[in-house]
Amino acid sequence: MTSFDLRARLGGFLLEAADSWEGPSAALFGASGSGKSTILEAMAGLRREVEGSVVVGGEDLHALRPAKRRLGWVPQDASLFPHMTARGNIDFAGRGEAAERAIDALELRPLLDRRASALSGGERQRVAIARALASRPRLLLLDEPLASVDRPLRARIVPFLQRIPADLGVPMLLVSHDPHEVLALASHVAVLDRGRVVAQGDPRGIFASAAALGVLEALGAENLFESKVVARSSGVLSLETARGCRLEMASVAGFPDPARVAVRAEDIMLAAHPPELVSAQNILAGDVLALEPLGDHVYVRIAGGGESWVAKVTPRAVERLSIAPGRPVHLLIKAHAIHAYA
Amino acid sequence: MTASDAAHVTLLTLRIGAVATLLILVPAVALGYALARRRFPGRSLVQAAVSLPMVLPPVAVGLLLLMFLSPRGATGRVLQAVFGGPILLTWWAAALAAAAMSFPLLVLGAQQAFAATPRRLENVARTLGASPARVFLQVTLPLSARGLAHGLTFAFARALGEFGATAIVAGRIPGETETLSLAIYGRIEAFQHGQALALSAISIALAFVSIAGAEMFLRRRDA
Repeated sequence: MTSFDLRARLGGFLLEAADSWEGPSAALFGASGSGKSTILEAMAGLRREVEGSVVVGGEDLHALRPAKRRLGWVPQDASLFPHMTARGNIDFAGRGEAAERAIDALELRPLLDRRASALSGGERQRVAIARALASRPRLLLLDEPLASVDRPLRARIVPFLQRIPADLGVPMLLVSHDPHEVLALASHVAVLDRGRVVAQGDPRGIFASAAALGVLEALGAENLFESKVVARSSGVLSLETARGCRLEMASVAGFPDPARVAVRAEDIMLAAHPPELVSAQNILAGDVLALEPLGDHVYVRIAGGGESWVAKVTPRAVERLSIAPGRPVHLLIKAHAIHAYA
Repeated sequence: MTASDAAHVTLLTLRIGAVATLLILVPAVALGYALARRRFPGRSLVQAAVSLPMVLPPVAVGLLLLMFLSPRGATGRVLQAVFGGPILLTWWAAALAAAAMSFPLLVLGAQQAFAATPRRLENVARTLGASPARVFLQVTLPLSARGLAHGLTFAFARALGEFGATAIVAGRIPGETETLSLAIYGRIEAFQHGQALALSAISIALAFVSIAGAEMFLRRRDA
């Protein structure tokens, strides 16, 4: 069993989070500032101001120094040692079979002699994961492991991450604000909101809960739709929402088909006339329902493609496009701006 | 003054500069690390005290050092026992004076170098099972090397040019304690301006070679 029960007052932020799980892979899910990374760092022993217990494999690690905990922490920015090569980074953690298997599985052999500073973001992330695995950890702590990895590489890394618990015998806990990532990689999820675990359990059930929806709204996904996959081609999924709106979204191999999709209001472009030759895969004709000025921005409510949409634009765009209630407008949404979350 | 005399003064200056730098290397780097990474009672006072030799008149530092090294004091007696004779008016006294004046430069250089090294990398190393000594030697030190090398170079160059404190505790004994700075002063006093200029040129060359040499070494290392 793995569990944490942590408390701390960090400035104005109160952390009071507890969760426990049995499976080999779990996730902490929440918006920025919800306390996910703090929990991961506290589990690694790097937050002395955080009190409570951290139990991995039945052993309470709280009194142990970071070096004795054997928790393979992979920070979001990878934090490779810049004065070493990729090989030097991995060797620092340990040599032997665990390191070599991680190197092969993460396809790192051609990169081993490269300086850390000469690696791309995705390459750095893979080396950091291999380095953590080389230390033969009892639990792998991954902070947003796919945040700096591009989509083609993500498709290659995801299957490897999925296999880590079974193939290398290392359970993992990952931090993510991407529900799709959580669904692909974890069998248990704890939803965090302002330092507290507000829901925990099986990800498929959790992402349909009100608690998770609240977090998604906090993430800024104002447009949420039930959806089903109606066709698939290379790199693209064709979806249909519950109200019959057809959408094309970029797919990632290894990730399950989405049952819900989200689009951020700021990711929607508006056009006064049907555009020609644009790269956006989704162009929907609609009618403006209302304008809601908020600070320096204007939220435009639109009925389009059978669904209700919210787009976020500047007051200047409203003026230039003569956007007003009742007027026609066209929504432009990139396939990459449609995020799956359950 | 013959070429041989000039060479002797130059070598003595280099020896005093090197010994002074070696004397302060460990304590200054350790103090720089403590000031950059630790919070302890009296830290601000220590920080101020470290910087004092940079702002005090060098002769005042020399006077304090004189009292410290005098055989009439406890420290002086211990040093006299260790060295088997009086330390004042020897090249060792000159090295100690140079060390005292260079100390703040190395402490502050080291402090800045350690402060600029990301703690996150040290934390990663700790979670990978590394001991504190290994974290320091294999992560902190290499990542701080550039700043440390700069601090070390300026401390060495400062030691080469030390004058006021050295004159108080080591005097100006030709062949024994007469460094380049003291020799330049002596030649000016004796109206031997040509020799003073020649010695100044050597002094400038030494400082330039030290700083440029360190820069070239660091560039080659970073390439």
